[in-house]
Parts: sequence; C-alpha cells; structure tokens
Amino acid sequence: MRVFVVDNGGQWTHREWRVLKYLGVETKIVPNDTPVGGLQDLDGLVLSGGAPRVGVDPSKMGRNGEYLDAFDGPILGICAGHQFMAKHFGGEAAPAKVPEFGKSLLNVREPDVLFEGLPDRFEVWESHNDEVTVLPPGFVGLASSPNCSVQAMRHRSEPIFGLQFHPEVEHTQFGGEIFRNFLKVCENPR
Amino acid sequence: MKFDAEAFIREQVELIRNAVAGRAIIACSGGVDSTTAAVLAGRALGDRLLAVYVDTGLMRKDETEDVERTLQDLGVNHRILRAADEYFAALRGVSDPEKKRMIIGRKFIELFEREAKTFGAEHLVQGTIAPDWIESGGQLRDRIKTHHNVAGLPADMKLKLVEPLRDLYKDEVRAVARALGVRVAERQPFPGPALAVRVIGDVTPERVALVRAASAIVEEEIQAAASRGLMLLPWQYFAVLVPVQTVGVHGDLRVYGHTVAVRAVESIDGMSATYSKIPHEVLDRISTRITNEVQGINRVVYDVSNKPPATIEWE
Repeated sequence: MRVFVVDNGGQWTHREWRVLKYLGVETKIVPNDTPVGGLQDLDGLVLSGGAPRVGVDPSKMGRNGEYLDAFDGPILGICAGHQFMAKHFGGEAAPAKVPEFGKSLLNVREPDVLFEGLPDRFEVWESHNDEVTVLPPGFVGLASSPNCSVQAMRHRSEPIFGLQFHPEVEHTQFGGEIFRNFLKVCENPR
Repeated sequence: MKFDAEAFIREQVELIRNAVAGRAIIACSGGVDSTTAAVLAGRALGDRLLAVYVDTGLMRKDETEDVERTLQDLGVNHRILRAADEYFAALRGVSDPEKKRMIIGRKFIELFEREAKTFGAEHLVQGTIAPDWIESGGQLRDRIKTHHNVAGLPADMKLKLVEPLRDLYKDEVRAVARALGVRVAERQPFPGPALAVRVIGDVTPERVALVRAASAIVEEEIQAAASRGLMLLPWQYFAVLVPVQTVGVHGDLRVYGHTVAVRAVESIDGMSATYSKIPHEVLDRISTRITNEVQGINRVVYDVSNKPPATIEWE
C-alpha cells in the first residue's frame, strides 16, 4: 500500500511519515506544491498540519485544494489540513476562541470507521490556533473536545476525513489505531 | 513493522562508504546521536575518520573526561579541543536564546573547518536527528529553535555534510546504539549549545557554574531515587538557572539569591512530552541539597509544563 504525506510545514509531518512506515505502508513526504499528477498510483493521502494560519490566510496551503478536488482516493486532513478542508468545501475556519496546546480529551459523538474499536472518550494531543467553526455542506461532525466542537469530521459519502487533534503524536492515545482504521479505508475505499 | 536497527546499520555504513571517498571528521559531543553516528562512520571509513570533541566550557560536571573515555573505548581517531575562553568571549553580553544558539553554531563550524583542513577531510559527519531539522524550520515550517548543526551552519560552508541519522528520532537512535554496542546508548539527551541554553540570560562562567552544580544534584538524586525504585528514570532531567532573584533567610540573615527550575519530562521522541510526576520526597531532597550546597541559590521551583505548549528546554 502507498500513502503519501503532503507537507504543510508541521512539526509533526515527519511523525505522520513514521507512523505510516511503522504500519508497513510505502510512504513519502511531498511538498504541498506537488502537482496532483505527481500523486498517482497512491492508495491514500494525508494532508499534514503546519504553521500556516488557515483561519487567517489560507494562501500558504499550496495545492491542497487541487488534492481535495482531484485526488483519486481517501484523504485524511490533520490540523491545518483539516481546517483547510472545511474551508475549501464551503465551511469555515477561524481563530479559535480557546486555542488548545497539549493534552485534551476527545469525545467521540458519532460512530465512524475512523474510531472503530476505540472508546468514546480518550486523551489526545493538540496544537492549534485556528479551528473549524462551520462544517462544510455534506460533512458530519464526529467528535469534540471541551474547547473545540469540531475535533473530527468526515464527508457523508466520500472517504474524506478531517481531524483537529494529532493522531501521529506519541502522547495521543490510540493514534496508531486511528491510522490503521484510515488504512483500512484506503484498502477498501467504497 | 518495527524499526530494524540491523538493517539500518548495514544500509547506512554502505551509504557513508559511497558518499565519502577521502577523509571525514565527525562532530562528536559524546551524546547518543553523535556517538552513534561516529561508530557508523567509523565502520564505514576506519582510519579515514577523525572524531572532534569541543570542550566549550559549557559542559556538565566531569563531562569532558567522560567523553574522552567514550572516544577511547570506541577506538576511533579523536581530538579534544579546549575552547572555553573563546566561547565565553563570543557569548559575552548575549541573552537572546536564538543569538546564543547561532554564535555557538558558528564557533563549532569554525573549529571543525580548521580541524578538517589539518586532517585533510572534505566531509563533516553529524549526528543530526529528525527533531533537529524539524525544529530548525525552513520554508513553510516555522523555526521553533535554531539547532546549531542545522540552522547554525553558514551558507558558504565548504565541508560536505553526511547525516546518517536524519530520519530517526531518539528512540530509534538508541536502538541503533544498542545494536552497535555503544556505551552511551541510554544517556539522556543534552542540547548542542549545552549549559548556555540552561542559563536564562547572560552566559558567564559564574552562572554556568551555578547551573552545572545544580544539574549535577538533580541528576544524582533522580538517578538514586530510580535505583531505589521510588520512580522510573525520566526521559530527560536537569536544572535551569532562572534570571529571577528572590528573598530568603539564611541563619537569621536576609539573602537575595538566584532561582533554579528543575525540569524532568517523559517522552519517546522529543516531539511531545509530559512533565514527570516526581515523588515529592525526591523533589524535597533535590531542593534541600541545591539550596544548601550551591551557594547563591536560595529557591527551587519545579516546571510542570508539557510540550506543547512549552518545549523541553527553556531556550
């Protein structure tokens, strides 16, 4: 299986690469201005988090929009990748009322393949100034935390997922399981 | 799949052999990363490698002697450079953490280029690991801090870089170190700029001596507590000299002395961390010993921040 990581300038982009590698996936970190034509024959794509303030100025997110429109396969957006996804599909991302850094508690509200086999509440690691404030049409919110209502979302029918928290971080509970669940989708996208 | 240290070693020895036709020097601090890189490079290059260690005057207690022994044990060519005066002179009056890191980085390269020339080396091997280049930033990635071995390198550097550990984190480097039989495989991480970034504010020999003495007590007490089974050894543990003076009372006399912060964290890879839940009796011993044994320090605080939002080191 081949799943690449689009680098949006995150501190944990390389951690995403490591988690995928440890799960036995062929993976590579690619810059976010890579033409979508260069991302063929992949089973899935991860859009990393990063320093760009999507809630203020989404212009530094390179070709993420093209990937969301034209990439043929499951996509997992993390942090900035998740916020950009919301904005791109007609939702909203803005500076968070209460930014979260470090430990937080995830509350899974909607069962989904991404959280299959996991408890409803567990500890996750955060690092964000902006957040999704309005879900895009066609998306459903899956999980929240005490200070952020959209911690996870997905498209109702397409395999497109967004996470505000960081499943790739060692201190996030069940992060590896979340990636494994995403890989199951990549294996069998429909 | 797990990280395969043996396969990694075979692969990297081959890559280093292909990359370096002539001679190379390795910048070796005696820590896990650079010592592991030195052994890898030693396997690939044998006598064509020279390990260079710089005593910056910013090292921990007995560190230089300890590193010298490590390098002797490894059986690699090595040189110990004593440059404390040069470093303190270059750092005089500098309190900005990024400036400190840049100055130290430039000084390192100056010395390495000199040694490389003498040895006839065209390559510089470094024990750079993933968090070093990640936190140093570049393009979209913000610079969290300058790691001297990445962002501290001059643009016009002539030495060609060889960095076999670039894609590894500390836990993986330790696995490689164990497979190579490196004595310092379990040593706690220590920053390249050494105690200069653990003295908040101006870096003087006196202030470095204070944090060195306090750090030695933190290390001794935590290691003793761990060996007595009171706690597990944290991932990293040290003291920081905080530029805050506070009032104390010593033998019915007023004192106005320095403050030391104790920092201990749990991590796997250094990219996220939680503060260690050290038993109070251990903190109590650390506090009593530092305030009694290190003259000039009359207050000890414990840092209870995670990463993020804080970083592990204070600068």
